[in-house]
Amino acid sequence: MPSLLFEIGCEELPASACREAEAQLPALAERQLGVAPTRVFVGPRRLAILVDELPDRTADEWVRGPPVALRERAAEGFARRYEVSVDRLEERDSFLGVTIPGQPVEEVLPERLAEIVRGLAFGKSMVWGPDFRFSRPARWLCAKLDDDDVPVLLIGVRTVGFSYGHRFTFGPVEVPSAAGYLGALRAADVEPDQHERRRLIVEGLDALGEWRDPLGKLDEVVHLVESPVVLESAFDERFLRLPERVIVTAMQSHQRYFPLGGTRFAVVANGGDPELVREGNTRVLAGRLDDAAFTFDRDVAVGIDGLAERLGSITFLAGAGSFADKADRLVELVRRLGGDEHALTAARLAKADQAAELVREFADLEGHIGANYAQLAGYPDDVCRAIDEQYLPDAADAPLPSSGAARVLAAADKIDTLATVFGLGKRPTGSRDPYGLRRAAIGLCRLAVEGGLRIERSLLPDEARGFVEERLEGLLDVPVEFVRAARASAAPDLGGVARLAQTLHGAEQTPEFGAVYTAYERAHRLAGRAEQEAAAALDPALFEDQAERELADALARTVVEPNGDLSAAAALAPHVDRFFDKVLVMAPD
Amino acid sequence: MISALQAYWADYGCVIAQPYHTEVAAGTMNPATFLRSLGPKPWKVAYVEPSIRPTDGRYGENPYRFQHYFQYQVVVKPAPEDILDVYFNSLDALGIDLTAHDVRLVEDDWEQPTLGAWGLGWEVWCDGMEITQWTYFQQLGGIEVELVPAEITYGLERLAMFLQRKDSAFDLEWAPGYTWGDVYRENERQWSTYNYEVAPVDVLLQRFEGHEHECGLLLERRLPLPAYDQVLKCSHTFNLLDARGAISVTERAAYIGRVRTLARRVAELYVELESAEAAVA
Repeated sequence: MPSLLFEIGCEELPASACREAEAQLPALAERQLGVAPTRVFVGPRRLAILVDELPDRTADEWVRGPPVALRERAAEGFARRYEVSVDRLEERDSFLGVTIPGQPVEEVLPERLAEIVRGLAFGKSMVWGPDFRFSRPARWLCAKLDDDDVPVLLIGVRTVGFSYGHRFTFGPVEVPSAAGYLGALRAADVEPDQHERRRLIVEGLDALGEWRDPLGKLDEVVHLVESPVVLESAFDERFLRLPERVIVTAMQSHQRYFPLGGTRFAVVANGGDPELVREGNTRVLAGRLDDAAFTFDRDVAVGIDGLAERLGSITFLAGAGSFADKADRLVELVRRLGGDEHALTAARLAKADQAAELVREFADLEGHIGANYAQLAGYPDDVCRAIDEQYLPDAADAPLPSSGAARVLAAADKIDTLATVFGLGKRPTGSRDPYGLRRAAIGLCRLAVEGGLRIERSLLPDEARGFVEERLEGLLDVPVEFVRAARASAAPDLGGVARLAQTLHGAEQTPEFGAVYTAYERAHRLAGRAEQEAAAALDPALFEDQAERELADALARTVVEPNGDLSAAAALAPHVDRFFDKVLVMAPD
Repeated sequence: MISALQAYWADYGCVIAQPYHTEVAAGTMNPATFLRSLGPKPWKVAYVEPSIRPTDGRYGENPYRFQHYFQYQVVVKPAPEDILDVYFNSLDALGIDLTAHDVRLVEDDWEQPTLGAWGLGWEVWCDGMEITQWTYFQQLGGIEVELVPAEITYGLERLAMFLQRKDSAFDLEWAPGYTWGDVYRENERQWSTYNYEVAPVDVLLQRFEGHEHECGLLLERRLPLPAYDQVLKCSHTFNLLDARGAISVTERAAYIGRVRTLARRVAELYVELESAEAAVA
């Protein structure tokens, strides 16, 4: 059976488009060709599939027609449509039908390959002339069935029968056959296989020693180059005074470099003269860092306290005052959460970096930049750490703040944002959560559950509290009814609600659970009616039965904390039950 | 460098246009790009455009930020199949050896909410330096383009820094015996002072209203080209107000919306007249 190569030549595709194509091509190709491709190659300038053994003919296809019962009326029309005589119709499962024989594969490929191109769907796509959309313009097609060219029936993109090598060092490249594709491109400075490109890049980085990829750029860099070359460079030591994450962001987000520790960094180039390319990249990073340093020095000259004083003129949210107002609210919340002096100081300074010019350039580094400025102003480490970690946990798998003061400040920030945004009537909808309230609510729950921080439920207004407590369902992985039950309890703090929900869930199968439930139900049903009739205080003189005395004694001994511990309630249960069994509750006395 | 680009693109068949006569934040806003990219007629143009961005001023103190710098703008509509190669050849014409340097196209999707415009394209990197923004327009003034243009915007200072291996724009040799700093540094200082401290907020607020009103009148008279000038003046006035800190975050969105509405109405009228003319022809 023959081998097939199909290459779609493109103008430089984004990495995200490469990944989309990589995910879609196997199924698309299988649908059109009947077999899954042996290899799928994706990269900036080409998407390609290789099929090692393509069946010579496409599979026979059974087309179902009218039911046998309607033979008289419908058979002729059906047969005519498929250009066969009526007596050629076959019967299967009481339907008439026709078998369309498979065709030689070379006859169907021109259309089927075009369907593969048209079938690719990108998150962001464009028009440029042809009647289909693509991530970036497709400019050539190359299809080979063994060593024969296959013309592809796609209007607007030429089938050229050859490929192109590296954009600048090689022009058109002859592809002798499907099997010779990889070799031909590799000889033309192109590595079409994304796995091999990744291996080459990692190998090059490993050769330079320890390397880091804190912002996860490797996946993108693999699709930024066809001919990866890893180069080492370094920036001037004078930039080491900048906050480390500012340097990392300039390297990774802006330039897609990899930090090697100290002042060293790695560049993954797409060819070129290593000396020239290294020199150019070194100058570019120096420019970026110089720009950041210029801004940094201006901020530091103002100082963290000076920046904090400017917060009055910066709006936090329309209708919710300035960042100065927010800082005041944070201080109060930290106080109510039991924060210490360090936490209170951190709360006062937490938003100061919103007035920093550097945060305008590096918005993702809010908090971190403020912490750096606080450090330079001589504030204690504990204060700086709290400022640094105030936005944690900011993702499902993100760590919690690492100190008590930091956890208190992180909770205060989330409570304030939730309360403020809900107060403005901006509840998140299914798809829109522009203020990140879901993330804040989950973070708050994690601070209570995993961080052990006592967060009074009364700190949150009703609607925001409901929204936060609903997050416990997903976080605890406990069925919703237990979370609802726990939320209805008198537990005063968020962690207590969580523990109660977990205890109820854990206790569901134990005997105590049944006992407590029954006892509670009986008392609860009665309480509803008795509220208005019952005597205000317990009068032991009126006890008629031993069971009454026992229950009163047991109650006196018991302190039921709504903290998720069922054992106290379980101990009470038999007394309650006996009480109901023995005593006529609605006795006039 | 500029004359090399002019010669290259003139040779390619572009109309060599001149900078527009009112302030624009980017060469895209020059009607030679914004309006001519719409409608059914092919178009090729190249020009230098001073880019005026009041909030980017740094009093001439920061060698990387300016409220006034230069772009070289090329529009080819519709973009031919080999347009990227044509562009790369222009770098070659500037003396950049494409085989010795690492020239790459890095995804960059362009969006300009004030103009209701977007497109897909790249930043062109040369050894890590962004020297060009490259965009296939998809929509302008809220209208889908009929013929997809390629917009090529060279950052002239960046390109010169690359070619001259300079770390600061101020040190660029702008002409023999004159640096960029000699010519423009004082400009940066004075204009930053004006943009941030002196520009009269009350007058600007009135001016914005006035330009908006006049734009409406011109649209009624079915004169999209003069009306478009009023859109540009609104946009620049808004930028100045922004630099003066006179616009709150909430008001910002409203102002941008007003400019976008005007841009859309101008674009619609322009396309209507162009299409009618094309139909007659």
